[in-house]
Formats: sequence, C-alpha cells, structure tokens
Amino acid sequence: MSIRDMIRRLQLSMPIVCAALIGFAGTAAAEGALGEARPWQMYYQDAFSPVMKEIHEFHALLLVIITGIVLLVLGILAYIIVRFNSRRNPVPSKTAHNTLLEVAWTIVPVIILVVIAIPSLKLLYNSGRTPAYDMTLKVTGHQWYWSYNYPDHGDITFDSIPIPEADLKPGQPRLLSVDNPVVVPVGATVQVLVNSDDVIHNWAVPSLGLKKDATPGRLNETWFRADVPGVFYGMCSELCGVNHYFMPIEVHALSKTDFDAWVTKAKEQFASNSRSPVNMATSGAIAAR
Amino acid sequence: MAYGAAAAHDEHEHHPTGWKRWVYSTNHKDIGTMYIVLSMIAALVGGLMSWYIRLELADPGLQFIHDTQFYNVLVTAHGFIMVFFVVMPAMIGGFGNWFVPLMIGAPDMAFPRMNNISFWLTAAGFVLLILSALVGDGPGTGWTVYPPLSSIAYHPGPSVDFGILALHVAGAGSILGAINFIVTIFNMRAPGMTMHRMPLFVWSILVTAFLLLLALPVLAGALTMLLTDRNFGTHFYEVAGGGDPLLWQHLFWFFGHPEVYIIILPAFGIISQIVSTFSKKPIFGYLGMAYAMMAIGVVGFVVWAHHMFTTGIGVNTRAYFTVATLIIAVPTGIKIFSWLATMWGGSIDFKAPMLYAMGFIWLFVLGGVTGVVLANAGIDLSFHDTYYVVAHFHYVMAIAAIFAMFGAWYYWIGKMSGRQYPEGLAKLQFWVFFVGVNVLFFPQHFLGLAGMPRRIPDYPDVYAGWNMVSSIGAAITMVGTLMFFYVVFHTLMAGKKAAANPWGAGATTLEWTVPSPAPFHTHEEMPVIGGGGHAHGGHGQVKPAE
Amino acid sequence: MSSRRRNLNALVLSGVAAAMLGVSFWSPTLYRLFCQGTGYEGTPKTENVVHSTQTSAAQVTVRFDANVNSALPWRFQPAQREVHLRLGEETLIHYTAANLSDQPITGTATFNVVPDKAGVYFSKLECFCFTEQTLAPGQEVSMPVVFYVDPGLAEDPTTRDVSTITLSYTFYRPDIEPKQPDNTAAIAGTRAVQAGG
Repeated sequence: MSIRDMIRRLQLSMPIVCAALIGFAGTAAAEGALGEARPWQMYYQDAFSPVMKEIHEFHALLLVIITGIVLLVLGILAYIIVRFNSRRNPVPSKTAHNTLLEVAWTIVPVIILVVIAIPSLKLLYNSGRTPAYDMTLKVTGHQWYWSYNYPDHGDITFDSIPIPEADLKPGQPRLLSVDNPVVVPVGATVQVLVNSDDVIHNWAVPSLGLKKDATPGRLNETWFRADVPGVFYGMCSELCGVNHYFMPIEVHALSKTDFDAWVTKAKEQFASNSRSPVNMATSGAIAAR
Repeated sequence: MAYGAAAAHDEHEHHPTGWKRWVYSTNHKDIGTMYIVLSMIAALVGGLMSWYIRLELADPGLQFIHDTQFYNVLVTAHGFIMVFFVVMPAMIGGFGNWFVPLMIGAPDMAFPRMNNISFWLTAAGFVLLILSALVGDGPGTGWTVYPPLSSIAYHPGPSVDFGILALHVAGAGSILGAINFIVTIFNMRAPGMTMHRMPLFVWSILVTAFLLLLALPVLAGALTMLLTDRNFGTHFYEVAGGGDPLLWQHLFWFFGHPEVYIIILPAFGIISQIVSTFSKKPIFGYLGMAYAMMAIGVVGFVVWAHHMFTTGIGVNTRAYFTVATLIIAVPTGIKIFSWLATMWGGSIDFKAPMLYAMGFIWLFVLGGVTGVVLANAGIDLSFHDTYYVVAHFHYVMAIAAIFAMFGAWYYWIGKMSGRQYPEGLAKLQFWVFFVGVNVLFFPQHFLGLAGMPRRIPDYPDVYAGWNMVSSIGAAITMVGTLMFFYVVFHTLMAGKKAAANPWGAGATTLEWTVPSPAPFHTHEEMPVIGGGGHAHGGHGQVKPAE
Repeated sequence: MSSRRRNLNALVLSGVAAAMLGVSFWSPTLYRLFCQGTGYEGTPKTENVVHSTQTSAAQVTVRFDANVNSALPWRFQPAQREVHLRLGEETLIHYTAANLSDQPITGTATFNVVPDKAGVYFSKLECFCFTEQTLAPGQEVSMPVVFYVDPGLAEDPTTRDVSTITLSYTFYRPDIEPKQPDNTAAIAGTRAVQAGG
C-alpha cells in the first residue's frame, strides 16, 4: 500500500474514531487536544486559542531579545575578567566619560523597547477587547470551587467541584479534575463574565490564554475561542484561603453537535439549579417558596 | 594623625558602656551595627521559613505541612520578614547609617536620638510580625494582604491586626529614618563636598529616603483603613458597604512598587562603590549614574498597576502602564553599562566583594529582563500569579540585592570591626551561594511557563521535576548561608587586623581615611574637601586636607 | 549646618509625609469622584444625568447580569435577557428580587458595566443602585431601571466597536458579615485532618 493510500485510510476512519472517542463530557479525559503541562516541561503548554497563539509568538520575540541581552552582558564580563585583571592590566585607565557611548546605550535600549512595545500593544488589544461573540459563560468563584452559568442556553447553572484524590478515576489528573467541567463548542467565541461570591479568586486556563480576577461586586469580562476539541485545565490564580491550591478549572471543547447534545442533557441534569426562566423558551415558573 | 589621637582621648571621656551603650545609643556606627545584627537574625528566621516551604514543595502531595493555613502564613511571614526586616534594615539602617556620615565627612546623623528610635521601632515591628504569626490562625494573606481575604470576615481573630500594627511601627521607624538621612545629606556635608562630589552610595540612600518618605505614608493610610474596616465598622474595601477591594490594591501597589526600588537603589549604590574600588577607576559617567537613580525613583511612582493587569482594569489603562514600566529599563540599562565601562580598562582584583558585585551585575540583568517580559500586559496574562513572577522577583531581590549585601559586608567589615575576613573561605562561600541560588530559582521560570500558580502548598504531579531541583537548590543555598555565618564568626573572633584602607588606590571615599575599626567618634573636625574632584565634575572621590 | 536649619528641614519633610498620608485617606473619595466623573473602568453615570440627547440610528444590545451574595437568601434575576435599542433611546427594564427566607431582610446593590470603556456612555436615570431594599418574608418585587446609551458611544473611536454592553448588579446584605465557609471552619477542618492523619 502506498503512503497515499495509508493517509487516505486514516482520513476516512477519522470520523468513526472520533465519534467513538467523543462521549458525554466528563467521562473521556484525553479526547482531542490536551491543555495540561507535561513533566519537566520548560516552556508554555500548547496553545489552543488565538490569544494564546499570539502570546507564544510574542514570547518567542522577547526570548530572543532577553537571551541576547543576558549573553551580551555575560560575554562582556568574561572578557573583562580575562583582559582587565590586575596581572594582565597593572595600570588602570582613567577614562570616565565617552559621550558617544553614553548616547548609544541610551538610544539603543529605547529602540529595543519600541520593537517590543508594538507587538505588545497589539497583543494587549487583541486579548483585552472582546470581539463579537457567540455565547456567554458566567463564572463565579467561591471558596473553594467554581460555579458556572449559561445565560444563553436556558440558564444552565452548576457547581464544578474538585474531585478529591481518593475519588479520582484513571486518567483524571490530581488537583485538576472536577465533577462538572465547563463545556463549550469548538470554534465559538465565548464571552466570559467573571465574578466572585466571597474573596478575590482568579479564573485561569493557560492553554486557552485566559486569566482574569474574580472580584466580589465587580463583573470582569474576558473571552476565548477553543480552536480544537479537547480538554483544557487551569488553576485558581489568586490566593483565596486554605484550599486555594485545590479549586481547579476544567474546560471541555466539543463539536457543535456534541455541544448541543450536552446542552439538552445539562438542562435536565441541572434543572433544579436554574434560578429562573429568563429565557422564555424554558418553562418553570418562579418557584416562590 | 593628631586628630585621631585627640579623638581617642575623647572617647574615654564620653563613650558609654554596657547595655546602655546599645539601648540608648545615639551613635550612627553602633546603631548601624544593631541594624545589621537585626537583619541577620531576621534572615535566619525568614530563611528557615523559606527552607520549610521548599521542603514541602520538593515533592507533590502534602508531606510536612497539612495545615494549609499555616503554609499561607509561612509564605506571608517569609515575604514580610525578607523585605522589611532583612534587606531594608541591612542596607539602609545598617550600611546607610554606618557609612553616609563617614562618606560625607559628618560626625553623625542630623538627629541621633531619632536614629535610635528608628532602630527600636524596626526591632519592635519585627517582634510584632512574629507575634502575628503565633496568635490566632496567623495571617494567611500573602504579603500583599488583599481584602476581602484579609478582612474580618475571612480572617477573624487578631493575626492580621497584629500584622498591621507591625507594619505601622516598622513604617514609622523607616519614615523617621528617611527624614534623618535627607536632612543629614542636605545639611551636613563637609565643606567642598558638593552634591556632585558625593559618593554614589550616598546618592542612592538620598533617593531611597525620598521614596520612603512619599510611599510609606500611603501604606500607612491603606493599613489604617483596613484596620478600621476590620474593627470599627468602616467599609473602605467592602463592597456591601459601598467600598471596593480594588482600592486596597491601588493603594498597596502605589506603595509597593516604589518599595522594590527602595530595596534595590541602595544595592546600586553599594555596587558602584565596590566596582570603582576594585577596578581602581572612578565610576564611568558619574552624573548619568546619579540621574539614572533619580529617574528610576520618579518613574517608579507611576507604574504601580502593572501588578494589577488581571484585575479588570481597562485596556487603555493597561497600555499606559505597560509603556511606563518599559521605560524604566532605560535608566537601569545606563547603570549596567556604566558599571561595565568602569571595569573596562581597570586593573581588577577579584576579591570577594568584587565577585559579589560582578555576580550582582549579571544576575540583576537576568532578573531584570524577565521584568521587561512581565511589563507587557498582554503577555502578563500568561504569567500573572505563576512561578515566573516568583522567579523574577527572587532574582532581583533574593539574589541581586542579597549579593549586594554580602558584597557590602565583605567590603566594609574591616572598617566596622577592625578585623578582615578570610579571603579563601569568602570566595568559597560566594561560589556555593551562587550555585545554590541559581539552582533554586532558575527552574522556577520553567514552572511558571508551564502554568504552575504561586502560593500553593501542593501542585499537580506534572510539576514535580523542577520543584525537586529547586528544593535541592534551596538546600545548597542554606549551606552557603551557614557558611557565611561561619565566616562572620571566624572574622570577628580570629580575623587578621584590618588596615585603615585594605583595598589600595581604588578606595577613595572618606571612610578609608579613618582608622579600622572606625573610632566611636569620627570627623569631629570636618575634613575639607579640595583638589582633584572639581575638574572632572566629581566622581565622588575626595582628598581630605592633610 | 545650623541646628535651626536642620530642624526646619525635618519639619518640612514631616509635612510631606503627613501630606502623603492625607492623600491616601482622601483616596476613596478621589477614587469615587474620578470613576463617576469619567465613567472609568465601567462605572455608569448615575448622578446629574439629564437626558437631553436625541436618538440616533445606531443600535446597541444591552444584556443583563445578576448576582446574589450567598449571605443574602434572595433570588435576584433580570426579567429579560437583553434588549435592543437605539443610542439615545430611553428604556425601562426590570430586575426581580424575592426574599426566600422567613425574616424581613435588607439588601443593597452594587453594579458595573462591561466593556468598561462603555461606562461613560451608559447613563441610568432611575435605578435601585445603592438604596437599601427591605423585603418581607416571601415578598417578591420588581425593580425598575431606566437608562439610555449615549450616542457618543458611536462617535468615540475607542468605543465605536462596541455592539453589546452588559449591565451587572450584585446584591449584598449590608447589615451582617457575609456568612460562608470562612477560613476558621476550614482551618479547623484541615487541622483535624493533620491531627487525625
């Protein structure tokens, strides 16, 4: 069989394989992409959103510049050690000024900073301004778990409780897994509204380029788009008390069809949580007690 | 010298002895010594806390600390102790008090009794901070003390209140000390020592004192508002009462950012003295160096919100703070290049102080460039509250500033005690400490890039590898630190007698013209500064009248 | 060198320190005035709002968000998910609040707007901001908000791209401290684990 044929076979079998793999969110831990660190990792997690991809690019530029600066200074120091030690250079020079040099080492850093500032501000405006979005995800931080609300999908509301070590199933990473993860459709631009019920927390998902403080009494806005299906992990990123280290974030991105299926199931599963029908499509009177 | 003999004769008449010499001291040298001793004690306490933290973090899971509130308290106390009771007392209270009067030809500080109370307030603040960790559940808020976590609802009990009191007391000591330094430097320079002939260490203390004067009261105000929120029913930071938690963050960081320059500027001054002495050359571009420090001080006041990039402040605000923060790299770069240019063409002896100074230059650049990365709000979103930030500030503070402190100790101990340190042992101590701190902090960049948050006692298993390496580095650092204390002990007990000027032609500032150890009273007759300096626009070099 | 000059210096410097202290105490007021005056960081205009602007053709969508602090046993939600309106057009919307407990309870609300740069153009003419509302046990009320979005939104280059604004309210209980799993209980819990484990 030629390579071409093998690739052909692989491509044809993909939908079947994927369909088999994609189960109800929360069961399969490693479907599609995985937004998680690897052991001994020395760099960013893989990027699965446009903001994170842009961060990767900008960081590459920065890394070249800062490595150059550090090596330059090291090189000059090494040369100084070799050339200007008291044995090799018994008589010190008296030079204490050089206007050209002083101007140069003022101007050149300014130029380098401008080179940095331009892509920096571009990244800032791309990440900091929410584009036209397809749906809203409301995130609320609590001591010590997150809760989520989908105002555009029948007001689905649920708590996302971290899974204690004793209850982990194989494939569920310790300190990162939750019972009810966030579910979003692949390719949808999601407006995320973040706030807190008690102290300041921070909702972060590194592989999706997300990090926003959850502050009581204040609604903060950020956004993301998961470009591939997969599972993406994050951890609370603002000291919030004794279990700050154990209130993770787990996001699943599903294809549109699977997402719609999840929405239907979730409305049923989390019906008792729903605060009220803002969305006229769902029934459910205001249950005054 | 006749004047020296006369001074020695006077000493026997006026020199207090016993415990009163220290508790009631109005002598800048004795007070400086007490600050250094306080700093060393605090360094051991703060260091023990950090080694305990690294012990826990060596492996995933909770092995030694199951009470995670206690872990948060350790993190908090470690930060406060290192910033307020190790670095500041050593560099400003310790070396500042010892050498500013000596370098400007003054017999003592402008307000010697206020100098005394500054020290005892600092010492009291340290005791109160330790108490805050021992009463109640301890303050588990981080040194940043953000409400609502620090409010009475989430930290009931007296711990945070003790912490607030500790900072008020220590802050008062520092503000008084700042006034003392400014008045001394403005008014008590020997005739002929113009501002543009002052040693750069004196310049660094002057700028630092202004930063203290302007920034610490803002911390005091913020702390008082937190105290009244917690205990007297006010709502400055409480949403339910119409307040805003973000107000705390603005106030704290308005103080907090100048605070980090308060920490590093005296280090810059120390490095200038050491580099000039051991290169046997005047500092390159003296005026640029002085003005760079002033520029860093001024710009340092308008960049505070780069600590708040993820709090929900607007995009335009973040853009401003990004650009303003980047600008600080320019005067800082001028200083680095000037030190390199000072060494260039010099005739350098690589004694222990110079090793520390050169280590400072390289490692401060390494830590500083990660600061340039973090300055960018767009990318800060990937680094905020991760170990990348922890790596950054430890490189510039725990490595660079501590190197400056070690360098200063080695440089000046002969003058302070009359005994010189053992050179071979000192060089060994440098290398062990150098290796230790780099193994400890460099891998933390990797952890931050990989997404590990800060202030956590346990972490997902994937972060185990570099955490173990970092903890091994902590162990090596601990050995290096204990070696330093051994060197101190050895020097004070059995060090060789130090000459008035052990460093040769490169040591041109006034402290090298008095005997070692410096007598209780010095410069009782002010030296007259003349010759040399004027034509070159001042290098901080002076030739006292014969 | 004279001691009088030194004392004068010290006095001036102490004055500087005292002034900085004063500025920090004045900062909450400054902060509020600045935010309300400029609409900075999502603060909508609620004071001295006089609606004299004409409407423009440009449209904007306003969505509504509601939060209740868990110490307040109320249900609080917007009566509508969103409204579409023209810039300058005055609109009345409602939030409903219900006291789910068996005691009369007072709540008070805070609010902000996202994206925050739109705050300066979001003007509320009538709202329940910061007035305390007391609900009897089981009582449910409808709380009106009258607002408009200033046509300046479309003219300002920094806000021209804004097509959707979210108005968010959070209700709190002002009379007591928030009651939830605070550190004390959790600390006792972890210490029990350590003692037992």
